[in-house]
Amino acid sequence: MAEVATRPSVAEPALVCEDVHKSFGALEVLKGVSLTASEGDVIAMLGSSGSGKSTFLRCINLLETPDSGRISVGGELIRMTKTKSGRTIPADQDQVDRIRSRLGMVFQQFNLWSHMTVLQNVSEAPIHVLKVPKAEALERAKAMLNKVGLDDKLDYYPSHLSGGQQQRAAIARALAMEPDVLLFDEPTSALDPELVGEVMRVIRQLAEEGRTMIVVTHEMGFAREVSSHVVFLHLGRVEEEGPPREVFGNQESERFRQFLASNL
Amino acid sequence: MELIWNSLPRLFDGALLTIEITAVSVALGLLAAVPLALLRLSHNPFLRLPVYAYIFYFRGTPFIVQLFLIYYGSGQFRDTLESAGLWIFFREAYFCAILALTLNTAAYTAEIFRGAIQGVPFGEIEAARACGMSRGLLYRRIILPKALRLALPAYSNEVVFLLQTTSIVSIIALLDLTGVARVIIARSFEPYKLFLAAAVIYLVMTYGVLYVFKKVEFWLSGHLRERPDDSVKAVVVR
Repeated sequence: MAEVATRPSVAEPALVCEDVHKSFGALEVLKGVSLTASEGDVIAMLGSSGSGKSTFLRCINLLETPDSGRISVGGELIRMTKTKSGRTIPADQDQVDRIRSRLGMVFQQFNLWSHMTVLQNVSEAPIHVLKVPKAEALERAKAMLNKVGLDDKLDYYPSHLSGGQQQRAAIARALAMEPDVLLFDEPTSALDPELVGEVMRVIRQLAEEGRTMIVVTHEMGFAREVSSHVVFLHLGRVEEEGPPREVFGNQESERFRQFLASNL
Repeated sequence: MELIWNSLPRLFDGALLTIEITAVSVALGLLAAVPLALLRLSHNPFLRLPVYAYIFYFRGTPFIVQLFLIYYGSGQFRDTLESAGLWIFFREAYFCAILALTLNTAAYTAEIFRGAIQGVPFGEIEAARACGMSRGLLYRRIILPKALRLALPAYSNEVVFLLQTTSIVSIIALLDLTGVARVIIARSFEPYKLFLAAAVIYLVMTYGVLYVFKKVEFWLSGHLRERPDDSVKAVVVR
């Protein structure tokens, strides 16, 4: 990744994370993780359970507050400060809210708002966070649901949908914010095997459209074929990274070999 | 039978007062309960503990004691209340009844809402945060609407309880349904017939409350009902 810093900066990278640390009590989950995503990058984050990949993803939009490190989105640094007791907290919650609205997040457990229909789920944040006029937001929401193949389910509630449909609705919800970067937190791990395909197809399509995405996943096929960059985390550190061909081809790290062996 | 028939107009007048004080205290109690529930959940002990004490007192003492303390107890502070211009309220049994019922139901309702707010799935809250919703927006659009749905069954119980509790205000000489029945009994010495008539009217009013809640629950619970179409097909396929 060293070449990123020396590359003449045409535009600010979409996302820069530097030396992110995070502990839960005595357990240090992230021991200094850095990552740069330029526009159009599709970064697959791999790692076994407990490697810190989900925690790192959640630090990017401050669902977890990193203990130290720097995170910038589109060149804007998220300002942090310390409380009297030494805890790190965001200095400006409005800034955090604004940056979050530019980062779309897709969760492992979908987390659709269960009291709203699919259409309401997708149009909610554009209307109330981005202040898009309602009619326009509904049109945009319908377009997004059409894109993920749910245009016939607008008035369904999440509980009426299969897991795969719920996750596609959740992807449409993230897309409706027209985010600069999409964050996927193990988007297919909670799905039955036969439903994984429909969700992966949508994610693939987004990657091919040139969207900037960070995907925490166990789908090796996706990492190998679709991602532009693979990051392998182990015990809170980046153990391997690079273009998928190199990373999967060389497998310099013994741990990465073991990880692949148990995941293929 | 003739006694009941002749008493009906007065019993209905009493029932109207019962409905009135129930409706007013439910409305005021509900308005107070939402902010109380939020304060009860505050991390700041200066906000949380006074509300906790208030709720504990009103849940921990019988309603009749609360009513007497407000109605008879306020007499102890007559001078203070008069100089504050509040005595015109506290000398009225009607006002004291509404105040006691409101404070009582607000305490119970705040506890119901607290539980419901804590029951909102954490993932749904995180999803709202991840969209960039501010705290206020998060409460207004996600947490409170969801909590309202979770609270509704328990809250309908509370409203029914309150309706029954209003019968106690007859003790401070208000002519609610129970009050009217007691006055007629004092003259006719027919407690059995009149309390039976009152009981039937209470049942009808309770049914009205339950009916309204059933409608509201149905209206708010689209996500718990059958899917919009193909529910029949789904059964056949299985």
